[in-house]
Amino acid sequence: MTDTCSPRPMVNAGLLKKYLGRRVTTVVKVFRSDGADLVGQAPDGTSITVRKAASSSITLSHFVEVVGVVEGESALRAEICTNFGDAFDMVTYNQLCQLANCDNRDCFV
Amino acid sequence: MYSGAGGGDGSMFAGGGFMPSQSQANDFGGGGGRRSGSQNSGLLPLTAKMISQAIQKPSDENFYVDGVDVNNVTLVGMVHDKEERATDVSFQLDDTTGQIEVKRWSVLLTLLAHHSPWNFTYVRVHGHLRSFQGKRNIVAFSVRPITDFNELTFHFLEVIYVHLSNIRAQGGTAAAPTHAATAGVGPHGIATIATNPSHYNQYLPPASAMVGGNVDECQKRVHMIFEEPESLLIEQGLHIDQVAQRMVGYSRQQVKEAIEFLVNEGFVYSTIDDDHYKSTNA
Repeated sequence: MTDTCSPRPMVNAGLLKKYLGRRVTTVVKVFRSDGADLVGQAPDGTSITVRKAASSSITLSHFVEVVGVVEGESALRAEICTNFGDAFDMVTYNQLCQLANCDNRDCFV
Repeated sequence: MYSGAGGGDGSMFAGGGFMPSQSQANDFGGGGGRRSGSQNSGLLPLTAKMISQAIQKPSDENFYVDGVDVNNVTLVGMVHDKEERATDVSFQLDDTTGQIEVKRWSVLLTLLAHHSPWNFTYVRVHGHLRSFQGKRNIVAFSVRPITDFNELTFHFLEVIYVHLSNIRAQGGTAAAPTHAATAGVGPHGIATIATNPSHYNQYLPPASAMVGGNVDECQKRVHMIFEEPESLLIEQGLHIDQVAQRMVGYSRQQVKEAIEFLVNEGFVYSTIDDDHYKSTNA
């Protein structure tokens, strides 16, 4: 069965405002964590805040994929966090976010 | 890489005793067997969204994405709702665009127990797309956890690349009108793509295999028009003028000659009269 009702598009910080209140996917490089919240660098270099990130998957200066709901132009409420390790190419991922959100949208959302 | 094993896989999954409905299984087995005989048994990188939008012809079990026959597919996504049963492991694969059911028959149950993926982990799936009781799912022959997450980026870039290649290969016909003023752009575009070995185009293999270098650009494009799923669906086939209309930059006479050539080579046949033709693959 295919279910495409609840996609979680891949975005960078610049694209967050297009998806206010909706689920998205992004990758952040963790700067600091403050309890359950973390601050990190989005693929396009801007820093964003992730609330309620599961602390178990967070290591400083590692990359974390966050699936969550957009709460503001630079804030997410996390639902799922996945540790992407310490070697992840953010530049390419950022370009993918842009490609997937423009001409090639029909493959994705 | 899977082309050699295509037939084996089809029969292994379809003919096995695991299917709840034997008649469904047999139907599928027939489709699988026929398909393994077709020229194209490549591997397409796709997303769940693209699979949900794939066109299925009523006449057979094949799926078409971007006009290309879908046989084996590869997806990357997160595992959800995993269920292990005695005969199989199934889960929902969430690849950011949507979710699709993946099923892996437990041929080697003991091996699977160790390798079966956990919920919320990322995996790469290689498998066979099929429709079962009206639902599309993937029968996987490989489910591997992702260890380097750049593979995720790579997969989606590959999806875009293959999508664009296929669209542009068709674009020789579909996008031709926009290139009308600059004749040569369209044919050139096709020529570039045709020389690309990693390009998945159902047209190219039979052309090179069956008629060598004798197919010129006009014949290739006319043939592609006849091979489009929409054209295959029309009972009486396409009228010569319909084809000529889409062949911007070519005269009706050239199109007629191309069709005559395709008739002689056995690619198309005349239907209700001498002006209507249809692909022999329909």
